[in-house]
Amino acid sequence: INTYYLVTVLYFAKSAELTGHRSEVVPLPAATSSCQLWALLLELHPSLAALQDQVVLAVRQQYVALGDQALLLADGDEVAVVPPLSGG
Amino acid sequence: MADEVSCLKARLLDKETELDVLKKKLAQYEKNEKPCIELIDKVTTLTPLESKPLSNEDIMRYSRQLLLPELGVRGQKNLSQSSVLVVGCGGLGCPLAQYLAAAGIGRLGLLDYDEVELSNLHRQVLHREESQGQAKALSAATAVNRLNSTVECIPYNLQLSSENALQLIQQYDIVADCSDNVPTRYLVNDACVISRKPLVSASALRMEGQLTVYNYRGGPCYRCLYPVPPPAETVTNCSDGGVLGVVPGIMGCLQALEVIKIASGQGSSCGQQLVMFDALDTRFRSIRLRPRQPECAVCGEKPSVTQLVDYEALCGSAATDKCRRLNLLSKDHRITVQEYKAVVDNASSHLLLDVRPPVEVDICRLPISLNIPLSSLQQGKGGHLQLLRESISQSKGQMSGDGPLPVYVICKQGNDSQKAVQLLEKMSTSELDEITVKDICGGLMAWSQKIDPEFPQY
Repeated sequence: INTYYLVTVLYFAKSAELTGHRSEVVPLPAATSSCQLWALLLELHPSLAALQDQVVLAVRQQYVALGDQALLLADGDEVAVVPPLSGG
Repeated sequence: MADEVSCLKARLLDKETELDVLKKKLAQYEKNEKPCIELIDKVTTLTPLESKPLSNEDIMRYSRQLLLPELGVRGQKNLSQSSVLVVGCGGLGCPLAQYLAAAGIGRLGLLDYDEVELSNLHRQVLHREESQGQAKALSAATAVNRLNSTVECIPYNLQLSSENALQLIQQYDIVADCSDNVPTRYLVNDACVISRKPLVSASALRMEGQLTVYNYRGGPCYRCLYPVPPPAETVTNCSDGGVLGVVPGIMGCLQALEVIKIASGQGSSCGQQLVMFDALDTRFRSIRLRPRQPECAVCGEKPSVTQLVDYEALCGSAATDKCRRLNLLSKDHRITVQEYKAVVDNASSHLLLDVRPPVEVDICRLPISLNIPLSSLQQGKGGHLQLLRESISQSKGQMSGDGPLPVYVICKQGNDSQKAVQLLEKMSTSELDEITVKDICGGLMAWSQKIDPEFPQY
C-alpha cells in the first residue's frame, strides 16, 4: 500500500527553461528517495537529463544528497531543483 | 572725463579676462594634481594595511553606520584594515565595489580584463558613456575613487589565471566572485581553498540570482556543491540569455552586505546557505546546505586538487562570457554574408529561414525571412513544420529551374543556424521536399558589420 502526497516542485534557472515550468504539483509516494525523486522528474521531463549531476536538490529548503534514503515527504512539501547560475 | 571712464572700463575688462584665465589655469592644475589612478597589468606585492585611528572626517563620513551597535567603532576600524579582491567589474562587481568603498573598506582590488561597452551600461553602474573602450578595472576604480578617495583602489587589467591567482588572492583578506563564466568560478574557488580565504560568491542571469559564501567557517566550497562542471553547451551567459540590470544589482548589494559583515568582524550567515532571488515573484528562498564535504576534490580530507589546474580544459569552455563560435558544418554547408548578399542582389529564388526566438525577432529582422525558432524545429512542432513545408513549396513554385530549393538559415551569430541546418538535413528527404540547406556564417551580426551598417546590433 503506497500513500501518495502532493508535492510542489520548483524549477529554477536552466531547469525552468528545460521543463517549461517554474513550478508544478507532482504526486509522490511518501517513501521516495532522492534518487527516485530525480528519476521521476526525469521521466516527467526527459530534457532534464542535460542537468544530470549539475543540480542542487532541496526538500523543504534543505539540501538533499542523491541517495537511497527515504525523504519522508508530506502534502504541500516543496522540492526545489537548482542548477548553478554563472552569469554576472 | 568720458575718455577716462572708457579707458578705465577697458582696463577693468582686461583685468577680468586675465583673472578668468588665471582661475581656469589654477583649476586645471588642481585637477591634474589629484592622484592619478594607475592601471596594473600584473600582480604586484602589496604593503600591509596600516592601523589608523578614525579621523574627525572619518567619524562624520561614517557616522550613520558608526551609530549601529552591530558595527560601531571597532567594526569600522576592522573594515578600514580589510582588503577585498573583486573578481569581475561587471553587473555584480560594480554595485559591490561601490558599497564597499562607500562603507570605508581599506583596500579594494578591482580585477577585469574587459573594456566598457555600450551594452554593459544598463547593469554595470560604475561605468559611464564616456568610459566606452576604457578598461573596466580603470573605469570602476575612477568611479570608486570619486566616491571615497580614502579607499586604496588597485585596478588590475588582467585575466585571472592558474599562474597569477594564488599570488594575487593570498594578498587579500576576502575574495568576491563577480565573474561571468564557469572556468573562472572553479579557478577562484580552488585558489580560495588553497589560500584559505572566504569566497563571497554571487551570480545572476535573466530574472534570477544566487548567493553563497564558500569556504567559510566549516561550510562547503563551490566544488562540494558542484563537483563536476556543467557541459559547456548547457551554460547560458548574459549576452545570450539576457539579464535585467537590477537583478545583478541586487545580488551585488547582497554580496557587499556579506563582505562587510565578514570584514567588520560580525560574520556572515551565508556560509552554509544558498540564497536564491526570484525577481519575477520578488521572492527570496534560502536552501540550507551541507557542511564541507570530506570527499571534496579540493577542500576534502584527501584532496586530489592541491594546486591550480587548467580550468578552461576542466570546463571545456573559455574563461569569458563572449559567445563561443561553433563549427558544426563543413564549408560547403555554409555561405558568407557577402555570398548571401549576391543571392539577394541576383533575385535568385530561395528561402531565408530565421531561427531566433520571437523576442529577438522583435528587435530586428530581415524583411523577407521566415521566422521559426530553433526550439520549434528541435521539438518538431507540427504547426511550425507545416508552415515551413508550405513556404518551401511556395518558393519552389516561383523557381525557374527544377533543382532543389536553396534554404539559407540565419540567426544572431551563426551558432543556432548551424544546429538548424543539421536538423533540416535530417528532415530533408523524409519530411520536407528536396532542398539544399546552408547556414549564413556569423548571422545577422555579420550582416550588420559587413553588409548593412543600418541593421542594429545587440
